[in-house]
Amino acid sequence: MSETDLAAPAAAANDGALPSHATPWRRRLPLLPALIFTILLTQVPFVMSIYYSLTNWKVVPPTPREFIGFDNYVELTSSSPFLDAAWVSVKMTVLSVFFSVILGTLIAILLDRKFFGQGIVRTLIITPFLLMPVVAGLIWKNQMFHGLFGVVNWLLDWVGIDSVEFVSKHPLASIVTVLVWQWTPFMMLIMLAGLQSQPSDVLEAARVDGTTSFGIFRQLTLPHLRRYIELATLLGTIYLIQVFDQIFVMTGGGPGSTNLPFFVYRRSIGGGWQFGLASAYSIVVVIATLLVANFALRVLSNLLEDDV
Amino acid sequence: MSANERAVGEGVWTDRILGLVAWLVGFIYFFPILWLIINSTKDEVTANATPTLDYSPSLDRYREVTETSVGLLGAGEAFTNSAITSVVSTLIVLLLAIPAAYALAIYPVKKWRDALFFFISTKFLPLVASILPLWILARQFDLLNTRLVLIILYTAMNLPLAVWMLRSFFQEVPRELVEAAEIDGTSLIGVLRSVVIPIAAPGIAATGLLCLIFAWNEYFFAVQLNAADAQTVPIWVTTNISTRGNFIAKLSAASVLASIPVVIAGWVAQKRMIRGLAMGAIK
Amino acid sequence: MASVTYHKATRFYPGTERPAVAEFDLEIPDGELLVLVGPSGSGKSTALRMLAGLEPLDGGQIKIGDRDVSNVRPRDRDIAMVFQNYALYPQLTVAQNMGFALKQQKVPKEERRKRVEEAARILDLTPYLDRKPKNLSGGQRQRVAMGRAIVRSPQVFLMDEPLSNLDAKLRVQTRTELAELQERLGVTTVYVTHDQVEAMTMGHRVAVLKDGILQQCDTPQNLYHHPANAFVAGFIGSPAMNLVPITPADGAARLGGHRLGFGDAEGDIDLGAALTVGFRPEAARLGDDGPLEARIRTIEDLGSEVFVHLVVAHEGDDIQIVAKTASPFGGRNGDNVRVSLGGPVHVFGADGERVASTNATLA
Repeated sequence: MSETDLAAPAAAANDGALPSHATPWRRRLPLLPALIFTILLTQVPFVMSIYYSLTNWKVVPPTPREFIGFDNYVELTSSSPFLDAAWVSVKMTVLSVFFSVILGTLIAILLDRKFFGQGIVRTLIITPFLLMPVVAGLIWKNQMFHGLFGVVNWLLDWVGIDSVEFVSKHPLASIVTVLVWQWTPFMMLIMLAGLQSQPSDVLEAARVDGTTSFGIFRQLTLPHLRRYIELATLLGTIYLIQVFDQIFVMTGGGPGSTNLPFFVYRRSIGGGWQFGLASAYSIVVVIATLLVANFALRVLSNLLEDDV
Repeated sequence: MSANERAVGEGVWTDRILGLVAWLVGFIYFFPILWLIINSTKDEVTANATPTLDYSPSLDRYREVTETSVGLLGAGEAFTNSAITSVVSTLIVLLLAIPAAYALAIYPVKKWRDALFFFISTKFLPLVASILPLWILARQFDLLNTRLVLIILYTAMNLPLAVWMLRSFFQEVPRELVEAAEIDGTSLIGVLRSVVIPIAAPGIAATGLLCLIFAWNEYFFAVQLNAADAQTVPIWVTTNISTRGNFIAKLSAASVLASIPVVIAGWVAQKRMIRGLAMGAIK
Repeated sequence: MASVTYHKATRFYPGTERPAVAEFDLEIPDGELLVLVGPSGSGKSTALRMLAGLEPLDGGQIKIGDRDVSNVRPRDRDIAMVFQNYALYPQLTVAQNMGFALKQQKVPKEERRKRVEEAARILDLTPYLDRKPKNLSGGQRQRVAMGRAIVRSPQVFLMDEPLSNLDAKLRVQTRTELAELQERLGVTTVYVTHDQVEAMTMGHRVAVLKDGILQQCDTPQNLYHHPANAFVAGFIGSPAMNLVPITPADGAARLGGHRLGFGDAEGDIDLGAALTVGFRPEAARLGDDGPLEARIRTIEDLGSEVFVHLVVAHEGDDIQIVAKTASPFGGRNGDNVRVSLGGPVHVFGADGERVASTNATLA
């Protein structure tokens, strides 16, 4: 009887049997509007880009559009600015995701206990996430990192260190700082959800079993948080790969702070007007991101299947 | 044990010190925004100088920034455009995503995983990469400089997120209720209206709020596709950046005004958003 | 091995006026299996958690042995606890779950393994040592939770409704195994349940709680035969004792219009105030010649015995009483029968306290 009952898997809502009155099409119908809309708006531009990437379309100077096959792609592989931009993309994304996940986790742990005004502190910390990326970039560029009037330099001065021209001398670090500042709250929220979803009686059992607070964290909480950390990393990567606004207002894309999206932008309607070449760049970027996405989605797939 | 109480045998000081540390972290984290607000009440001379708190605050910058139309459009137009594009696109997103999420969660189509992956994978594509074709299409259909083009794009931008989050909220709806409604002969719209939406209402609200935030704060498409007539708030803020001189105070005032709607919305709906992110994310 | 003492232990949940546990006094000698029983909200789980150190005390103290543990952390109290939902560590195997506490105490690996295997043997868990909780049945998980506790050889076992989540048949079987195990190990055990049958069959002594207040703590037999108040009388025993409110008139108490004679206890009972009279189903005799008229409402034939639910007119209203009789029973729903009293009757005063127990007669 219940001896042979194995632990029931999570509600199999996803594999529910087809009721006799619901034909496959009736099931699919509600999905179609959203699906068609998305396909139109993402795939059509993609196909157009492929087409343009096989031409030598330039607007400045105006040249007639001729089909040149894969020439653009060949030129691209030897383009060192392109590879630089790719490398900057990697650095910017990895550093931002890494630091914001760690910082978010630490702050979540700090906020997970109850203390006076906990809600207020959480509200304060969430706010940077709600700001416009351009506003955040401007705050840090003009007011925090400013060479002459910046608060950070004022503090350094106070401690006796020379002023640092953050944005001009360390563009990547400055931008990563802003990104981490804005995205840590998001990570923190996910981690808080993770921390608060631990079953309380398991934690109590550990306390009765003689574990120290740190022991509980290391042996129970961290393994439990693994899924949440993976998820936070995945979501963060999705958004941080595409950073544009902060770069635009802080450095305008100087060397060291141009990531791939910005690079492509500059080559196309952002000044280069080399539509053919830029399209080739964008196709390569799309393919590369799809590879990353594929990998990331495998992780997501585990999350979707996983039974806690 | 109630969360407000100390665990048995724990020192009183641990809690107090950690509480203090939390307040400190919160303050430091919020400080740049605080400084922004402070700068917005200074005059330009004070703002563009060594940091100081010794001045007499005024709201003049706010007046200046909302009165003058720097070049193209003033504050009122920008806020209206942003409000319209954000709200309308969010409504359309919900309109499309709710049935889609229903199809993925409650009576899932066979290939639900593939469909979900497809939606999410579109978020991975750098939108910047498609700006050229989109720009060309927009020009083709005479949609440059309109609110409509932004509404369409913001909908496409937020739809995957909404589908994902709503799907996991809908999974929480007890199957029996849906089945009971179906037995009673209710149509799909009826089921949505009477069962699914009321139960998942907090989740729908959280999703909608997140879409509003992303749409309101969006800068890139707005600036690429709208040179003039449909200027949104983020663009309006950047018109206060001048190379001719330092206008930090005015810029700060503009920034504060631009941020207020979303920040207030986020503060008020915090708990719901947390639930939303957590649930939308985890399931 | 140690005794457990609650001395005026009190606990208020923040924001509530009534205490969850009020001035709880209890002494549990070494080796006893004491059951805390009561309806939901009676404070029994809270009292247990106070002993565990998972709830702080707002008053009074708790001692284990001679040691005042009121402010001692759970991990320093040398107790082991079995939780209602088992609270197994989800990422660890059965063996790791059971050895967890020993690992925290830095017990060497070899000895840990030995003790875990020993406990697994006692609980028939040996084939499952490498499985994770999610691959176990409910009954197996329950035994792992037990194993986690017995591996530790603590001074006190605490059990919070450990059998509630098992199905009925398994519950009955595990109940006896648990009682035997406790007898064998001889460790002082505090056991919480809402099921009074469990309490009666397992406990050396049973403490009945209501609204945070201890009603009576006694052996099961005494609770059954000598309940201290109407609540205990009605709570212990299944089906419940028949409790009939009576307003005496003309200096006599009447049940269904018939005068109750209280024999020797006549003088102890104050017939000027309202009282409650209680008698168990086995004390209500059915026949054709009893004084009290009743109509059969329904019949529960359990095979070994029969419980007959009757409707009786009493003080202007219809009341229900249950009579127990032997199987087979020939009556049918709707039949009229007659009832007489043939067993002890308890009389409770207006405040619920027991005033007298006697063999009463019905005229």
